[in-house]
Amino acid sequence: MFNWMWLFYILVFPGALFCFVGGTLLNGLDRKVYAKMQQRIGPPILQPFYDFMKLMGKETIIPYEANKPVFLGAPVVGFVALVTIMLLLPQFGFSAFGDINADMIVIIYLLTIPAASIIIGGAASGSPYAGVGISREMVSVISFELPLVMVLLAIGRKAGGDGVTFSMKAIADYQAANGAMICQWSMIPAALAMLLVVPCEVGCHPFDVAEAETEICEGPLVEYSGAPLGVFKLNYYVKQLVVSGLFAALFLGGKGTGIVAADAVIFYVECLVVTFFSMTLIRASLARLKVEQVFKFYWTVVAGLALVSLVLAWFGL
Amino acid sequence: MFDNLINKSAAKSPWLFHINAGSCNGCDIELVAGLTPRYDAERLGFRLAGTPRHADIVVVTGPITAQIKDRVLRTIEQDPEPRCIVTMGSCPASGNVFKDGYPYAGPLSKYVDVDVDIAGCAAKPETVLEGLYQAAQILEQKRKAMKNKGGQI
Ligand code: SF4
Repeated sequence: MFNWMWLFYILVFPGALFCFVGGTLLNGLDRKVYAKMQQRIGPPILQPFYDFMKLMGKETIIPYEANKPVFLGAPVVGFVALVTIMLLLPQFGFSAFGDINADMIVIIYLLTIPAASIIIGGAASGSPYAGVGISREMVSVISFELPLVMVLLAIGRKAGGDGVTFSMKAIADYQAANGAMICQWSMIPAALAMLLVVPCEVGCHPFDVAEAETEICEGPLVEYSGAPLGVFKLNYYVKQLVVSGLFAALFLGGKGTGIVAADAVIFYVECLVVTFFSMTLIRASLARLKVEQVFKFYWTVVAGLALVSLVLAWFGL
Repeated sequence: MFDNLINKSAAKSPWLFHINAGSCNGCDIELVAGLTPRYDAERLGFRLAGTPRHADIVVVTGPITAQIKDRVLRTIEQDPEPRCIVTMGSCPASGNVFKDGYPYAGPLSKYVDVDVDIAGCAAKPETVLEGLYQAAQILEQKRKAMKNKGGQI
């Protein structure tokens, strides 16, 4: 049974168009606030949009060594995966594809696809810098994956009552009934852990080991130019929106207002707040970590925080 | 439909790639000074790119030495169209004090078309920003010309 509403969901809201506009705007605001923290004027808020448009108009060079279909296809795959995650996230009462059982597991898998698209695209470009970059990207994926799964398990246990739930809808319902997840004291360590997972997942500054432009020339993206690079940059903006949206859906849910448009605005503001605390603030105050430091940090400190919440939730607190 | 927007964006988001062609390091420091919070080149959209493939403007500092000449030309070739070439300081334009040295391989304009020359030894950050801004305007013209010629986008 095909529903025309689905087309609207996928293409406009909360699908492709919302991701595009919301993502570029979010990144623009992020850069503006970042500039203010360094006491400069900063780029215009529409700067990411200009960047994207300019890259669309540039020449696309495909290296002789590259595998053409994979090289050009990888960024698009990443974008599609991100839009799919956005479709699965509940925004208070509203969720585009409502009652899917176990969509949390789908989200865990989909979250690795943008990283995988960077890895595949980099590998297809055949550059040694990309080779170093993709090995680093793999390490950063492994680093944030463990704490992320533990956080999701803790929340699933908390919202599931007797068992563990893997449905985003059940989590949204639980928050509508009992208030935002972040107000439960046993979930605060998990929220902190998730706040630290967000920047690594997005690949923004202190954890951007894979794209360290001063060390390895932007790693996997080294051979990209023109439109495919533009789509990769767009993926970065949308990733900021989607991952901070995941945090908002998991921890900052609630009853909402009942009006979809108003809920969407509140959801977007929540994304902004999460972006500020998890990305802008950390990015402005820290220098880039080394690969092994990232790995160690995530598997000890962040995973430890998530474990505390998991144990507390398991004992029914 | 989007052509106008793309042309405008070309001037608003120029990314730089910096090549040191045997400079004394004076100009390199001044270029970086232009990007620091004090002068804040990012408010005009400038950004230092890590690889020539991402860049719109190639900034060359230092006299072109015989050793580096081929590498500079090759790096410029790797830059996708539309691109601008900016020489910074007196060295790449005239040779400056290195002119009579045996490794000197001539001004950059001997090998490629240079769009903007930024004068000074070392060029001041204000001058650098002015020059780069002009280069960004030229980028927009080039993008228009490229489109009219029916070149690939
Ligand atoms: S122009 Fe002057 S400061 Fe710049 S590289 Fe040449 S000698 Fe050094």
